[in-house]
Amino acid sequence: MDIILQIIVSGLLIGFVYSLIAIGLTLIYGVMDIVNFAHGAFLMLGMFTAYWLNQLFNFDPLLSLPISIIAIYLLGWLSYKFVVNKVLNAPPVAQIFVTFGLMVFLENLALFLWSPDFRIIKDTFVSGDFNIGEIMFNIPKLIAALGSVLITGAIFWFMSKTRTGRALKATAINRDAAKLMGINTDKMFALAWGIGGGAVGAAGALLTNFYYIFPTVGATFNLLAFVTVALGGFGSIQGALVAGLLIGIIENLAGVFIGPAFKYAVVFAIFILVIVIRPNGLMGGK
Amino acid sequence: MNKKLIFLIVAVLILFFLPLIYKASFFIHVLILIFMFAMASQAWDLVGGYTGQISFGNAIFFGIGAYTSTLLYMHWSVTPWIGMLVGGVVAVIVALIVGYPAFKLKGHYFLLATIGIGEIIRTLFLNWPAVGGAQGIFIPFEKESFWNFQFHSSKLPYYYIILTLFILTFLVSYFVEKSKLGFYFKAIREDEDAAKAMGIHTQKFKFVAFAISAFLTAITGTFYAQYLMYIDPNSVMPFMLSTQIVLVAILGGMGYLFGPLLGSLVLIPLSELTRVLLGSSGSGFHLVIYGLLIMLISMYKPAGLAGWIQEWNFNKKKAAGGEVDGTTINS
Amino acid sequence: MRRKWLMILLVIVLSFSTALMGCSSTEKAKSGDEGKTTEEVKVIKIGVIYPLTGGMASAGQDQKVGVEMAAKIVNGSYDLDIPLAKTEGLPNFGGAKVELVFADTQGDPKIGLGEAERLIEEEGVVALIGSYASSNTAATSQAAERLGVPFFNAESTQHGLTERGFQWFFRSIPHDFGFTQNLFRFYDELEEKKGIKVQKIGSAYENTQFGQGSNEAQKHFVKESNREMVVDIAYTANSTDVTSEVIKIKEAKPDVLMMASYVNDAILFQQTLKQQNYMPAAIIGMEAGHVDKDYVGVLGKDATHILTSATWSSKLIESKPIVAKVNEMYKQEYGKALAGYVPHAITGGLVLMDAINRAGSTDPEAIKQALLETDYPGDSLIMPWQGVKFDPETHQNIYGSNLLLQIDEEGEYEVVWPFDVATKELVWPAPSWGER
Repeated sequence: MDIILQIIVSGLLIGFVYSLIAIGLTLIYGVMDIVNFAHGAFLMLGMFTAYWLNQLFNFDPLLSLPISIIAIYLLGWLSYKFVVNKVLNAPPVAQIFVTFGLMVFLENLALFLWSPDFRIIKDTFVSGDFNIGEIMFNIPKLIAALGSVLITGAIFWFMSKTRTGRALKATAINRDAAKLMGINTDKMFALAWGIGGGAVGAAGALLTNFYYIFPTVGATFNLLAFVTVALGGFGSIQGALVAGLLIGIIENLAGVFIGPAFKYAVVFAIFILVIVIRPNGLMGGK
Repeated sequence: MNKKLIFLIVAVLILFFLPLIYKASFFIHVLILIFMFAMASQAWDLVGGYTGQISFGNAIFFGIGAYTSTLLYMHWSVTPWIGMLVGGVVAVIVALIVGYPAFKLKGHYFLLATIGIGEIIRTLFLNWPAVGGAQGIFIPFEKESFWNFQFHSSKLPYYYIILTLFILTFLVSYFVEKSKLGFYFKAIREDEDAAKAMGIHTQKFKFVAFAISAFLTAITGTFYAQYLMYIDPNSVMPFMLSTQIVLVAILGGMGYLFGPLLGSLVLIPLSELTRVLLGSSGSGFHLVIYGLLIMLISMYKPAGLAGWIQEWNFNKKKAAGGEVDGTTINS
Repeated sequence: MRRKWLMILLVIVLSFSTALMGCSSTEKAKSGDEGKTTEEVKVIKIGVIYPLTGGMASAGQDQKVGVEMAAKIVNGSYDLDIPLAKTEGLPNFGGAKVELVFADTQGDPKIGLGEAERLIEEEGVVALIGSYASSNTAATSQAAERLGVPFFNAESTQHGLTERGFQWFFRSIPHDFGFTQNLFRFYDELEEKKGIKVQKIGSAYENTQFGQGSNEAQKHFVKESNREMVVDIAYTANSTDVTSEVIKIKEAKPDVLMMASYVNDAILFQQTLKQQNYMPAAIIGMEAGHVDKDYVGVLGKDATHILTSATWSSKLIESKPIVAKVNEMYKQEYGKALAGYVPHAITGGLVLMDAINRAGSTDPEAIKQALLETDYPGDSLIMPWQGVKFDPETHQNIYGSNLLLQIDEEGEYEVVWPFDVATKELVWPAPSWGER
């Protein structure tokens, strides 16, 4: 019994991280129907931001968190301004490939600049574990989960309570109507990319508390983020949160009961099953 | 019409004699890669370019082709030529099974489902001891002969085989394009609901396109296995291979008959060349350029090279005041 | 309509001619380098082909540096007890210098195949050395086999590579089975000499060639020695989380956990083991990730008492004078000490260059013959081996062996087995996390 509980706890903790990574992706998709393949590369740059701040100024990842958010916010914003906005009216395939190219570009630039070495930030402020009974809680993961909840909440609040947020939502629902109502959709798109970047930048900084940093770190997380987004329903923030947790738990259960080699295969299989039965994902409204 | 034929014949003749003039293995290797990718990409285009269903899982058909012929050869000494056809049939069966859930999905969901299915099948092969698992299979060296599909003293036979296979694939595309089938495919791409309303059995035609595509991709896979003599799931079924296949078609122009060939002609020599020029410094800078190039093409020439050529041709005709042949726009 | 076809034809022809320009040097290379002897040649070209970019770039770059170092030793004049070190260049070629030509497989077999052919035909290299990952080596060595040029491998461990019946393929590192057999010999000695019984074996391995190869060998020897495999875990390389894997291991309670991992997963496992507050009596890595410079660098104290099988150890710097000298040279050149697979690549380069010199000709047959006659003295090796001598059938080095290292409190890899060459006493069982 303890094992099952432990699996669920570990699954939930990593699941929150998956959610946080996926939220930025789903937000961008929800607003402008574009899948950002470079999302994993954004995550990697968020991690490197925290890493270099630690190396150069001895910042703790928690202290780097706001800087990482701003840095990747800017990166998202720039990506929109200089790249994505050129393909707004292009065929969907061009839209996919432009971000795919961006991913190849950013990852290899990182490889070129910083070498493929693995790095880790040592002696972080948050570290260690505590247990309740036999169940182990990893503190850095717990902090990441907490960050995930806070950031999801903040984005949710922003989308529903602020004027700009509502304008963003309106753009997501119908961009032409939003335009007619005087919303500057171009600005909204840029904002969506900024916030999407900021969210994954936060995920990156929080990840550095317990995960190693290297230029191709984004690849695995990227694929899981896609699955999370599709499972939760493209564009649904709550959906991404729930789907992330589900994936975390499924992955861990499958790892123990089916075999670690198949854990991602099981995640993919369930993902396919769900989208075939419910093509709009668990909570997709659009 | 005659002129068109003459040009084609000349082109084929050039392709035939080229490696006889320049005999370097590396040069022939690049040619082989060009036609291998052109073929896989042309096969992909039947689904991606014509029916508009973007599959990111075509590497599984490639892998199935490679594994089927290799296993038949290893266990029952079946010549890879027969194995190639069997592999094609197996791939068609897999395509029909995979297509069943996948074609219920549209757009991004279809795309992600193909990625997911591709990863599941690769994982199964990785953990399947009977097919060598991750260790893969070394195809034993045999006496070189056409029947054995092994050539050691020269690479030329491989080149002529892949050239022939590519031309056959091209012809399949050509006849699909000119037939009613091509019309149905494109109708699905342009507007699936409208096509349905017109009485086209869209689901059936998607399966037809997927099956042809899987068959041809599997044949390419068998060729790869015989050419490299070593296969493992991470080299014949990775996500990266699916991506490369799609990339060639995108660059060349999806849904254009000559698109995959053009894409392959540019992309393969380009990646070889950048690596030769920059790669030995070991910095990986060539991949940075590669990424930049993909971005620029998507941003400024989304219809690919074939689309660009056609557009240029079209404008020229218009400027000359000649009659614009509307039907060529999408050919 | 006509223009369209003309255009297409033009594009085809143009693309080809550009591709051709890169190949115009071919004829020259082909024209007759073959069989030149002694004074005729000024440089001897050797092809060095590794994954220099992509996921395996870190390791590939290390190999490249290693072969460069070997060329430096051969080309310059140094007071080292290594064949070819004292003289400048290759004496049998009138002091001709070795020139290295590098190529990148990008970790992709089909790219490797083409690059290997380019090195042989365009660059006119007389032999190849490479290519780290077994799948890459399988492809590059095949090009060499087809074109009849010697191929030297210093670091791929898949046993199948030397069982293909290749004429031109030579390997200096022990393969999976040799490697694993040594470890089981260690278990036997452990029981004999220290009364520690190792019965329940756990195996965790990354799910590609390297891991599955090790696992296959482990299963073989577990059966042969009447031991028991209590947990057998294949995991996906570059996993985001390995909690479930660790929980399974914790449940099975093996006496020893044998791990075949690359460095990122090796680190993640160790961190997760700590989180789950579990430590088996011993963890033995199969070299690779567990000897990577990042392993101790990242884990620090948490890496203490981990064992790893290894074909090289930095302790050799203290115990073997020749290693100390080479290390000094290497430090001057690259600003860091010998580590990882660099010594393997240096050794590979030196053995190959020695064979080329003994052949006294660039004729591939002569070089192959010289390689077959290789009997490289152990005293001149920077490896802990008895020497290098190839099996006449498989061309596998029959003297290759391995050590068992343990990471001590200072993060140093100490030799703990074979017991007679140990630099530190074996700590067994490893203390639990609470006792540290």
